[in-house]
Amino acid sequence: MNLPESLRISWRSIASHKLRSTLTTLGVIIGVASVITFMVLGGAFTASIVGDLESFDEPGMLVWTQTTPADGFGVIEVDAAIYTEHDVERLEALDGVSSVSPTASIPVTQTAHGGDRVTGTVGVTATTDGYFLPEEIVDGEAFTAGANEAMINAHAAQLFDGGVGVGDELTLSLPDGSSETVTVVGVVEEADGFGSSPMLYVPTDPFYTTTIETPRETTEHAYSSLVVVAEGPESVDGVQTAILEYFESDEADASQLKQGDHEIAVQTVDDAIEQVTEIVDQLTILIAGIAAIALVVGSIGIANIMIVSVTERTREIGIMKAVGATNRDILQLFLVESVILGFIGSVFGVLLGLGVGFLGVSLLEWPMVYPLDWIAIAIAVGVGVGVLSGLYPAWQAAKTDPIEALRHE
Amino acid sequence: MTRESEPNAPAVAAVDVRRTYELGGEPVHALDGVSLTLPAGSFTAVMGPSGSGKSTLMNVLGCLDTPDAGTVELGGQRIAELSGRERARLRGREIGFVFQTFNLMPRLSAAENVTLPMLFAPTVEGRRERARTLLARVGLEDRVDHAPSELSGGQRQRVAIARALANDPTLILADEPTGNLDTATGDRIMSLFEELHAEGATILMVTHEPNTAAYADRIVHVLDGRIETIEDLGSGDPAGASSDDSVASAGGDA
Ligand SMILES: Nc1ncnc2c1ncn2[C@@H]1O[C@H](COP(=O)(O)OP(=O)(O)O)[C@@H](O)[C@H]1O
Ligand SMILES: [Mg+2]
Repeated sequence: MNLPESLRISWRSIASHKLRSTLTTLGVIIGVASVITFMVLGGAFTASIVGDLESFDEPGMLVWTQTTPADGFGVIEVDAAIYTEHDVERLEALDGVSSVSPTASIPVTQTAHGGDRVTGTVGVTATTDGYFLPEEIVDGEAFTAGANEAMINAHAAQLFDGGVGVGDELTLSLPDGSSETVTVVGVVEEADGFGSSPMLYVPTDPFYTTTIETPRETTEHAYSSLVVVAEGPESVDGVQTAILEYFESDEADASQLKQGDHEIAVQTVDDAIEQVTEIVDQLTILIAGIAAIALVVGSIGIANIMIVSVTERTREIGIMKAVGATNRDILQLFLVESVILGFIGSVFGVLLGLGVGFLGVSLLEWPMVYPLDWIAIAIAVGVGVGVLSGLYPAWQAAKTDPIEALRHE
Repeated sequence: MTRESEPNAPAVAAVDVRRTYELGGEPVHALDGVSLTLPAGSFTAVMGPSGSGKSTLMNVLGCLDTPDAGTVELGGQRIAELSGRERARLRGREIGFVFQTFNLMPRLSAAENVTLPMLFAPTVEGRRERARTLLARVGLEDRVDHAPSELSGGQRQRVAIARALANDPTLILADEPTGNLDTATGDRIMSLFEELHAEGATILMVTHEPNTAAYADRIVHVLDGRIETIEDLGSGDPAGASSDDSVASAGGDA
């Protein structure tokens, strides 16, 4: 019996039990859909963040403080002002360093534009004008140190009625009860991919006033992180090593100011990409595990329904054998049926997964990606599940005794 | 039909066939040394009480069952020497089964049911056309796409007969084909068999009804797995061979 004929006959029996066939394939649908959804989201996440990071081919790196949380999983950022002006000057003097921009967050309680107030949501970062690359400033220009000026990202600009643009004024309420009015001079689009939260950037002078006692018994400004830009991509590795060496020495204020369980890290763009990719990879393993369980359940479902189907169709098997079907013909018919079920399950799973994934990326404003390799794998796995779960029932069908089967009522 | 068929060459020959079943530890001799030759073009009826081995004989001659002893030769081949696969293929090509309970595939249309034996015999060409021709042959040209559930008992048995003819078999085996039909419908089915016989088909038919058996050339009487007598009716008009007038009139009407 040739394949097109088996397909036609097997399809007929699937189509005659629509509800049952649908329920049977549910396990496969869920397993495949969860993988595809995750692959769309993971792919979009990678495309959005890693893509931005990669386009950011400037030789920048971030100096920050991290600690290992009590549960020991990963690292978290510590917001501690330990990098002093002395440290900034020493880093600026290192070979291959082009600029060092200190950053610190300003605890602004409320941001207002005219009568429109936004409480809490806008993060305000104090930094210097070297923090942004010229191509990141999409409108206007960088702020001037010492002036009441600010740069805003698109997300923050949209928070206010009618939007906020270059030339508009914002009023920032500070924790001590005072307020400052700043003029927006530039709109930025951060290349680090974390531009999805509303941010406002102001010059450290005059907005950042926090000072500390240094180990050298001077009083200086201190910052919670530094952005260091090397002179060129080729000097990134050397600069990273030099910065780490500096912070290991006793000359660095930060080394002495930091708490014992804190650690100073220097993260390049490549390190950031690696970290993001690692998280996505770990999630991939997790999702693959969940999907594997769903597929096992799915194949048990298919096997179960196929066994029922073989019993129900004992007489039909007898008829087919009486008119010349070989054991192999019968085996093929039932195997084709379970493969169709597995295939349909995976196709619908792919469609459902793409749909849910599309909804997700639309909400997150990420680009849609089509994980073609995973779609191919999912369909191959669906067909494989069909073969595996169909083998035993099909073998049962094939070895049915036609005489007994024809007596069967 | 492409095979060489010398006149009177046996379509099927069974020699000293035995088939024993185990039933609750007791051996049941369903066939206890049966020898029977069916010449090509012959029409044989098998009669006997229930449990006498008629269906077992059908199954053995039709390659569905293998005898414990004795030989069966079908279309020039000894079936004991064939593999299961070869036997299935031989069965598909050489045998056409007609059952008391019709045994149509419930989800396939009339035409698809007729096509079924051709699907398992890969050499047959133009299956759809042939299915239509065969359905027309049994008078169902306007029921081609009907499901079995949409057909009457007589129509279902016609579809089954068309299916039995699909691969142009050497032998048609019919196990009580009119057993589930009313008399009038049964008579029409019998006149169809009569026409097939007239066209040269070889037929073996199990029946309980003497009227039906009277259509045959001869009647084989079986009892307890043995052939008791073979009653020769002579070939020709079944009415001539029968003393029952109703058979003559039924044959004439159909
Ligand atoms: N599969 C089987 N297992 C046990 N006994 C069987 C089986 N098939 C048939 N028999 C026995 O063999 C005998 C002949 O059966 P069968 O050929 O069906 O008779 P008939 O068709 O003449 O009524 C009966 O006694 C029956 O009970
Ligand atoms: Mg019987």
